[in-house]
Amino acid sequence: MKTFNPKNLMVSAMTAATLSIGAGGVMADDHPIHFGGIYILSGSAATYGEFAQEGINLAVDEINQGGGILGRQVEVTFEDSQGKAATAIQAARKLAYQDNVDAMLGLDSSGVAQGMVPTVPELQKPFIITHAATPDVTGNLCNEFTYRISVNVPQNQKAAARIAAKTDAKRWTTIGPDYAFGHQTWEYFGNYLKELNPDVELMEDTAFPRFGAEDFTPFINGVMDADPDGVIISVWGGDLVNFVRQATNLGFFDQGYELMFTVGAATEVLDALGDRMPEGVWLSTRYWYDAYDNELNQNFVKAYMDRYDHAPSYNAQGAYSAIYAYKQAMEAAGTTDGPAVAKALSGMTMEATNGTVTFRKADNQAMVSPTWGKTGPMHPEHGIRTLTDIQVFDGEEISRTPEETGCSL
Amino acid sequence: MSGLGPALLNSLEMGLLLFVIAVGLNIVFGVLNIINFAHGALYMLGAYLAYTLMSLAGLSFWVALIIAPLGVAAIAVVIDRLMLRFIYHRDVADSLLLTFAILLIIAESIRSIFGSNIQAVYPPDALQGTVRLLGGSYPVYSLFVIFSGLVILAGLWYLFNRTRVGKIMRAAALDRDMAEALCINTRMVVTGVFAFGAWLAGVGGVIAAPMRTIDPGMGDKIIIESFIVVVIGGLGSFPGALLGALILGAIYGFGGRYFPEFNLLLPFLGMALVLLFKPTGLMGKGANA
Repeated sequence: MKTFNPKNLMVSAMTAATLSIGAGGVMADDHPIHFGGIYILSGSAATYGEFAQEGINLAVDEINQGGGILGRQVEVTFEDSQGKAATAIQAARKLAYQDNVDAMLGLDSSGVAQGMVPTVPELQKPFIITHAATPDVTGNLCNEFTYRISVNVPQNQKAAARIAAKTDAKRWTTIGPDYAFGHQTWEYFGNYLKELNPDVELMEDTAFPRFGAEDFTPFINGVMDADPDGVIISVWGGDLVNFVRQATNLGFFDQGYELMFTVGAATEVLDALGDRMPEGVWLSTRYWYDAYDNELNQNFVKAYMDRYDHAPSYNAQGAYSAIYAYKQAMEAAGTTDGPAVAKALSGMTMEATNGTVTFRKADNQAMVSPTWGKTGPMHPEHGIRTLTDIQVFDGEEISRTPEETGCSL
Repeated sequence: MSGLGPALLNSLEMGLLLFVIAVGLNIVFGVLNIINFAHGALYMLGAYLAYTLMSLAGLSFWVALIIAPLGVAAIAVVIDRLMLRFIYHRDVADSLLLTFAILLIIAESIRSIFGSNIQAVYPPDALQGTVRLLGGSYPVYSLFVIFSGLVILAGLWYLFNRTRVGKIMRAAALDRDMAEALCINTRMVVTGVFAFGAWLAGVGGVIAAPMRTIDPGMGDKIIIESFIVVVIGGLGSFPGALLGALILGAIYGFGGRYFPEFNLLLPFLGMALVLLFKPTGLMGKGANA
């Protein structure tokens, strides 16, 4: 079981021992700072949750070795969201009321985030979203306890539109999962692309297979019949692995389409596909381990690969960074008090592995850019495709304006 | 409407794969009066065994296609002897509970052995690429899926109608006490039928592996689809499983192409309509038959 970290137990046991020996003489604040993580830990998307756990465990151990936060050790408890909003809400209440966590992080699915975010203020604990991308949680559902450190749909699609506008493709369509994420991706991509290039045609023939559809053949056939110039594809996770394999079989990649995969550069997916991921298609990710030339990132990638023997995925990096965001916010606030830490996060700027990140005061969204790149040759050691022609944009520039978000903080 | 041909082939492909899996569920129910919730987990086990044999042991797809389903059947014999045999005489609801527990045990065992990463295996070289067929290009592997489904369909028909083993199975299904009185060893029939159902699930898993991802959630998806098939076709009915599977395949194949916005709703709409107008399923025998 990866949710169980023996080191945490040791730390708790040692802390408990110290407390009982020095009864009375020890200040209450010597007990560890406790984080709660809510991720998908079962079912077909569980691999995303496991990467997040790896990132968090690495950050927690690094911080503990460096003396902790505010002189206190750090520990973490994980809960399984099962990809369901009701389960995630229950998990958050358990973490807040029974485990008395100081702060929370997590959420993989947009659907879960939309359900869960409105309930965060009642818990009076800060919550940093590290994966879910729906615009709503830092838009019309925003609140002063909820932050997001990862890229959202509008940021990713504005970047996508800039790349798409430079291609020769005029007629665009989409293939995406049939829920908020797939539809919002198409909506934002279409709007931004129209702004940049009013001549493009956004086709009527779109395809939204259900999430977990397994067989994408009818949808791929449909799109090929419509004969577009470019396709934006927001299918993700195991679905994307299925999609790429079935699309390859149908000759989808030989049609000369401009292809853009909005969550294509997930190492979970690239690992499974290996060299079956075709070369020369655009892939996006919230974080690409090979793309940022800074010391933090070099150290993170090295420590991560030494410990886990594979490259960190974007989900691992988001979760890892969120723990460091809390460290900085708690040290700035001088306390772990929920409302005070939430306040310290607002407008906070931090150095992260993917560059300087600021949580914008107006909507609590991190001003970050997705990383787009074209698939290149296989990496000689990592067994996945490399990204070439890497494009990173200015976070502020590709974010919605505060007025556009519909958030009033 | 263009692309009618590919949609038809696609419906057949999905339908026949679903048939191979759902008919196992139906045979086990028909003979043993057990609703086997773990059927999807056995399908997943077939896929993971294929992955083990192909990717880890380096064997060919054809070897995996023979060995993996037999492995699943062997595990089913163990499950039957260790657990299921104690509840054959009990109410069908008890079998639901026990097989659900078995599903959890299998799923978690697979997760702890293989992790929750997404795994993939690929069709053998002979079955890669596409052919032009009925006005569209169509993957060769999908034709192989259709062909395998038809072979199993023919084999099952022959087994039940033309062989002694099939007749014994049908006799045991009809009246177990009478069969025993006629010196049929029903204990062996029972274990054999359960293993045979598992073998079918395993075959489905191996056939599905090269075109679908292998992950610990794959059993959950297929068991829901199998239940839809069985509800539409009729629980315990052999032709019902075929009809139900072909209908669901057509819903996916044509619905996904021409009414993609309804592709979440259509399977359940079909199921609801059948439950409303023919609660025993289209080919179900009904309470008094």
